[in-house]
Amino acid sequence: MSDANDPLTVEYGREVRGLTVVRQSTPASAASFSATYVGPAGWGFDPEGEGGTARVVSQVLTSGAGSYDRVALARRLDRAGATLSTECAPESAEVTIWGPAADWRQLLGLLADVVLRPRFAADDLSRIRRQLAERQLRELAQPGSRADRELFRAAYPEGHPYRSTGLGDARSVLRLTRERLRRFHREHYTSGDALLVVSVPTRLPAVEAEVRSHFSEFAEERAPELRLPRVPTSRPRTVSVELAGRSQVEIRIGGDSIARSDPLYPAAFLANEVLGGRAQLSRLFQRVREEGGLVYHASSELEAMRFGGHWMVGAGTGADRWRKVVPLLAKELDRIAHRAVSANELREVRESAIGELPLALESTADAHELAVEVAYHRLPGDFLSRWPSVLRSVTPGEIRAAADRSMDQSHAVTVLAGPLSAP
Amino acid sequence: MPRSGVRRPRVRSITLSNGLRVLLAPEPTSPTASVWVWYRVGSKNEVPGITGASHWVEHMLFEGSPRYAKGEIDRAVLRVGGELNAFTDTDFTAYFTTVPRDHLSVPLDIEADRMTRAAITDEEVARERTVIHSEREGNENWPEFRVEEELLQLAFRIHPYRWDALGRRRDIEEMSAEQLRAYYRRFYGPRNAVLVVAGGFDVAGTAAEVRRRFSKLPPWGEDVEVRDVEPPQVGERRSTLSGPGTTPYIQIGWRSPALSDPATPATLVLDTILGGESRVFSAGMGWRGRREHPTARLYRALVDTGLAVRATSGWTPHFYPSLFTVQAQAAPGVSLDRVEAAVESVLERLARSGPTAKEMSDVRTRIRRGAALAYEGATSTGFRIGYFATLQSLALEDELYRRLLHVSARSVRDRARALFRPEARVVVRYEPTGAAANE
Repeated sequence: MSDANDPLTVEYGREVRGLTVVRQSTPASAASFSATYVGPAGWGFDPEGEGGTARVVSQVLTSGAGSYDRVALARRLDRAGATLSTECAPESAEVTIWGPAADWRQLLGLLADVVLRPRFAADDLSRIRRQLAERQLRELAQPGSRADRELFRAAYPEGHPYRSTGLGDARSVLRLTRERLRRFHREHYTSGDALLVVSVPTRLPAVEAEVRSHFSEFAEERAPELRLPRVPTSRPRTVSVELAGRSQVEIRIGGDSIARSDPLYPAAFLANEVLGGRAQLSRLFQRVREEGGLVYHASSELEAMRFGGHWMVGAGTGADRWRKVVPLLAKELDRIAHRAVSANELREVRESAIGELPLALESTADAHELAVEVAYHRLPGDFLSRWPSVLRSVTPGEIRAAADRSMDQSHAVTVLAGPLSAP
Repeated sequence: MPRSGVRRPRVRSITLSNGLRVLLAPEPTSPTASVWVWYRVGSKNEVPGITGASHWVEHMLFEGSPRYAKGEIDRAVLRVGGELNAFTDTDFTAYFTTVPRDHLSVPLDIEADRMTRAAITDEEVARERTVIHSEREGNENWPEFRVEEELLQLAFRIHPYRWDALGRRRDIEEMSAEQLRAYYRRFYGPRNAVLVVAGGFDVAGTAAEVRRRFSKLPPWGEDVEVRDVEPPQVGERRSTLSGPGTTPYIQIGWRSPALSDPATPATLVLDTILGGESRVFSAGMGWRGRREHPTARLYRALVDTGLAVRATSGWTPHFYPSLFTVQAQAAPGVSLDRVEAAVESVLERLARSGPTAKEMSDVRTRIRRGAALAYEGATSTGFRIGYFATLQSLALEDELYRRLLHVSARSVRDRARALFRPEARVVVRYEPTGAAANE
């Protein structure tokens, strides 16, 4: 039986005009609350030729809503001691408000204003477009972001939502008129397939009632569907981008991977932790940094999303060392996919992953992030409590098999971005 | 709740006979415990030839000690689900470990062991050299890092604030293991340290454990005061860098008062009015970043008008006179001449007329509300308590809070007049070469 006062428990409430309401208790020592709207408004939905749409709309939301222009909204948040932030990803966009728990009702109302009634003021749009244009340049010029960009472009076919980083290009941003942005907002900031996750020390019925009073304006609409074209299989390949004048080469190896709902996910999660996800305990950190002394950072990530996923190994090193680092990364990838993890290593990494759950409950903001993740993937309300036993049931053999499939080297893309030919 | 309005947990303070200051901040319901060790040692204590030594020692303190072989410090913490890290600044170095509350003994044992007995072997120093080199290279990829490094070198000719905590390239290449060991032996020890324990723990039991583990350590730690005094700047200093990048970038600095100067509160308010958020009391965020704020003067004059895509100011209190900075990234197609002129105009207006009553009221609101939720979670509690205690004392936070709320518009105007003198200005521009950006 789950305890509704335990921040590890996520409660699903009744829908409000199609909007799924989710509630989590805050950590006992916390005095803050947090609420996040998650909607099908990621850049995977950008209309063709209008790259950057989702990111611009996401930023517009914090630039004035309802009766508040941008300055008035900032002052309103200041008076409450609250913050407002947005995040945009391939599949979804999030809008989060955080502030004193005592004021959660008013702040939820403010969040509703922001999600439902953004102003789309002309001067805000101009500013956001300028900022986006500079970010596009930055993505091309910085070795780290350039390497990420080239990896996705090489790993996914045209039209795939994971191919882009959502910034668009100079031409696409020019097409983003106010009307087009408004239309995107109308069609994607909907209640269908959307969530409102509230972390607050208040019972679920009271949360539902409050959500009803603020979000009843949502038209009950069907959510737009994300199309995922098939990712063709291809041989391993390397993309090199010479960025002269930089000090460090950024290396990425990666490709397409599994969705969070895949039954292999727990084993794939542990495979990634062993390889490079569990910071200083991971093989990449130990082999490439601690033993090799070749890099400052070397890690891996498995981004298992709702509809699909990708994996990536990353490291940054000097122009004189990247040739030594790439084979080491490849060797560790080969090892995780083809040789069983020892019982000791598995126990150490697994117990570390389990043991860190209390750290995620230090503050409302930390706990809330977990609740959003659970709710977005439609995981059971007691998922976080059961996660340790799920991880403890994974065997070394399953990890090897999951690594082989979720971090498939035979189709991997290797990207090198930086001063490759520097002496 | 202390009278100041800062909702800080009650703190028990102990000083051991070897000089170690211990601050215990229990939060009975916290599922975690966070241990912080702050050393009043930073790049300010280095000299040319060993710049970056504090940062290098920071790395070496994870590489082994008598009780922990190489890699064992990380393993001991991570296998119980904890996290650990450290950072080095000009004035201090801080090490933290947060663990589930039942494992508090793990970080206490580690910190006691490495406070005076870190191994720092020749082999590990040699291996770590390329790691640190690589860390520096990663920073060099960013024009902002290069500009700041140039700004510090131009602004300071004597004082050790003239180099970045990462150290100079050449020193990283040439510093010996023996130099690092000597630096460690000289400055690291209980006399220069503050130990903070925050979160879920029993105070009496933890106080006893701290005494048992730390009181036997030798009372090491030489004087960390810096006696070099930077002479007054007479005349503007200016430099232009170029290299790959996106759009032109500028950073301007002016010599600013030390923490102990009575002008500190007014300087903090000045930074808030120009840059947007209070760096000391800010709702829902840490110290290292700053969100854009549409009421900030620089933002309104540069970003709203289309001259820049980012514009803000920066100042945090230091032990010694440091730099108040303004930085802006030009919008595509806008020259730095126009950006710099706009910055000057903002500063000139503020120095002439001071902030408005509305601006002062906004700043006070932000400080009050920011202070109310500044403490949430053992890790951030350990950070805040350690930061103030290392800079001066825990009372500094309360004192700053009270004084910030009493800063007048006139004193902010006077600060702007005193700071923003053209002859005391240091300007570094970055002009991107553009080839890499547009390929």
